[in-house]
Amino acid sequence: MLSKLWILAYRDLGRNRRRTILSMVAVALGLGLLILMNGYIAGVMDESIQNNIRLNTGHLQIRASAYTEGEMSLAWPDLLRDPEVLAAHAATLPGVRGAAPVLWAGGVIATPNDSLGIQVTGIDTTSTIYAPIREALVGGEFLNPDDRNGIMIGRRLAGELGLAVGSNVSLTVVDSDGNADEGVFTVRGIFHTGIPTYDQGSVLMPLAKAQAFARTERRASAVIIMLDDNQALETVRTALRSPDLQLLSWEDMNRLFIETMQTGLAFYYILDGIVMLIVAVIIANTLLMSVFERIREMGILSALGMKGRHLTQMLLLEAACMGLAGIAIGLALGLSSVAYLTYVGIAIGDIASVAGDSIALGSTIHARFVPETFAGLSIATFIFVLLAALYPAWYASRLEPVVALRG
Amino acid sequence: MDAIQINQVTKTYRVGATQTHALDHINLTIGEGEFTALVGPSGSGKTTLLQMIGCLDKPDQGTVLIKGQDVTRLNSNQRADLRRSSIGFVFQFFALVPVLTAYENVELPLLLNGMKTSERRTRVMELLDAVGLADRAHHRPDQLSGGQQQRVAIARALGPRPVLVLADEPTANLDTANGHQAMEIMQRLNQETGTAFVYATHDPRVIAFARRVVKMEDGKIIDSP
Ligand SMILES: Nc1ncnc2c1ncn2[C@@H]1O[C@H](COP(=O)(O)OP(=O)(O)OP(=O)(O)O)[C@@H](O)[C@H]1O
Ligand SMILES: [Mg+2]
Repeated sequence: MLSKLWILAYRDLGRNRRRTILSMVAVALGLGLLILMNGYIAGVMDESIQNNIRLNTGHLQIRASAYTEGEMSLAWPDLLRDPEVLAAHAATLPGVRGAAPVLWAGGVIATPNDSLGIQVTGIDTTSTIYAPIREALVGGEFLNPDDRNGIMIGRRLAGELGLAVGSNVSLTVVDSDGNADEGVFTVRGIFHTGIPTYDQGSVLMPLAKAQAFARTERRASAVIIMLDDNQALETVRTALRSPDLQLLSWEDMNRLFIETMQTGLAFYYILDGIVMLIVAVIIANTLLMSVFERIREMGILSALGMKGRHLTQMLLLEAACMGLAGIAIGLALGLSSVAYLTYVGIAIGDIASVAGDSIALGSTIHARFVPETFAGLSIATFIFVLLAALYPAWYASRLEPVVALRG
Repeated sequence: MDAIQINQVTKTYRVGATQTHALDHINLTIGEGEFTALVGPSGSGKTTLLQMIGCLDKPDQGTVLIKGQDVTRLNSNQRADLRRSSIGFVFQFFALVPVLTAYENVELPLLLNGMKTSERRTRVMELLDAVGLADRAHHRPDQLSGGQQQRVAIARALGPRPVLVLADEPTANLDTANGHQAMEIMQRLNQETGTAFVYATHDPRVIAFARRVVKMEDGKIIDSP
């Protein structure tokens, strides 16, 4: 029985070929667009998180268990006592690309005209994990480990304060004893990472100088660990576990960032919904038109003893055929455009910095394959198509056979 | 037992303020194997009566018994079941399913009745042979002449070996020769299979085939020998 319904459904689709093809194209374009949009967004999200990991947080951080995120406390109990040892140990673990101690201190940068609150970061200038900052240098040069009064700042900060390589500035930090310490420093290098908050709010200096400046002796706020890839995260974390340490993953540290981004994505979900609704309306319209055209034929089928539910099944099969064909084409369209954007990317120039302060993007955006999302979108499209067929199908099932005799 | 028994069947159509008594307390009995013409002027209620007999519609009042079973009590699914197994239809416009071939059209009611594949194939070819269209089995309706289409419809109606075949002006859209041929085939199949036929018509030459002629006027039966 079902096989005959298939034949009826299939041939009925063939009867008005142009309309059927247009509906399939609607499904295909709809799904293709959805896949492209979602692949693009996934790419943007992923890229900005990866950038943040690379330039800012690392994959994993070791901190003293008393250290609280955001406070940048310099009190000794909040700091790591032997950061070099921890970093050296971490660097020996498989999957770890680099590990380096870092010291953070809240402070103020001042020129004769202006002052701004910033974060002073003492970095191990010899560590490989700062390769991205080296690459991001747009002026001057990278710090030497034993530079006693050199700093690097971001291009945004330089712009705001009117600083250039060689300019002198005054820095003030509140040291571990709670006293304000001031010093004069020279800008050696200017970097542009693309992460607005980082480019605007960070002052980098060699770790040893920072420790001396903030009077923390050899202590550090954290050890930043970069992995070869995310796979090693849990094993490294387990290997480093210790009661007086906390181990924060990039997910822990970027949680706020990820959440903010996801809130921003709500807009795209609405867009997804609108695209699906448009597809559904087109399908519903096509099927309803084909039901109206076939009222007589359905009357005949009904007179021959076909039940309402068979007519319903027939129309759902028609919708399923159109939907599946459209989805196949849409997948091909969507996947090939995502592939293009993944491997070639689109150059967006400096728009990224205009786009939003919290998004860390380079000048080329790449899409990303998210198979689960694409599968989900295809299934959702199929369900929408079937839902759209429900009304026409229900309408057909209620047709009275009398219409057949009435010609 | 009579094939059909109709008691006090009434059907009134209302369009706006006007009421049409399409059927007005009709009583009629049709025996097994009858070959009956339903005649009367246009608007006299022939089509409406065929719809009641064929379980396509329900009367406002009265009962329709098919092989003793009161079909006015059935719901639409049960009526579909009954149509499928017991009643064949031949319509004025050759009501074949346009996307199916002649073979598939004849096959459809057999399939709906759950007949086995091998048995079905034999039956379909036997029926197409009986109406002289075995060589047209794989033509679509639009590749057949009107007379051929009507013969396919007759074959389809007889497929499930129904108690009764109802035909509403089966020759109205055919030329004389084709109409004559269709009537001859129906007559022959009536004699060979014992299936009762009731057909509505205006055409005296078609009426001439009938063994019994029931006359209607204004929703009433005025003569039923
Ligand atoms: N669906 C309907 N709505 C309103 N009135 C109807 C409907 N169907 C039939 N009628 C009316 O009922 C009466 C009987 O119609 P019916 O079609 O049964 O006549 P008929 O004998 O078959 O006529 P014809 O020979 O022209 O086919 C007519 O007056 C017709 O206008
Ligand atoms: Mg009529």
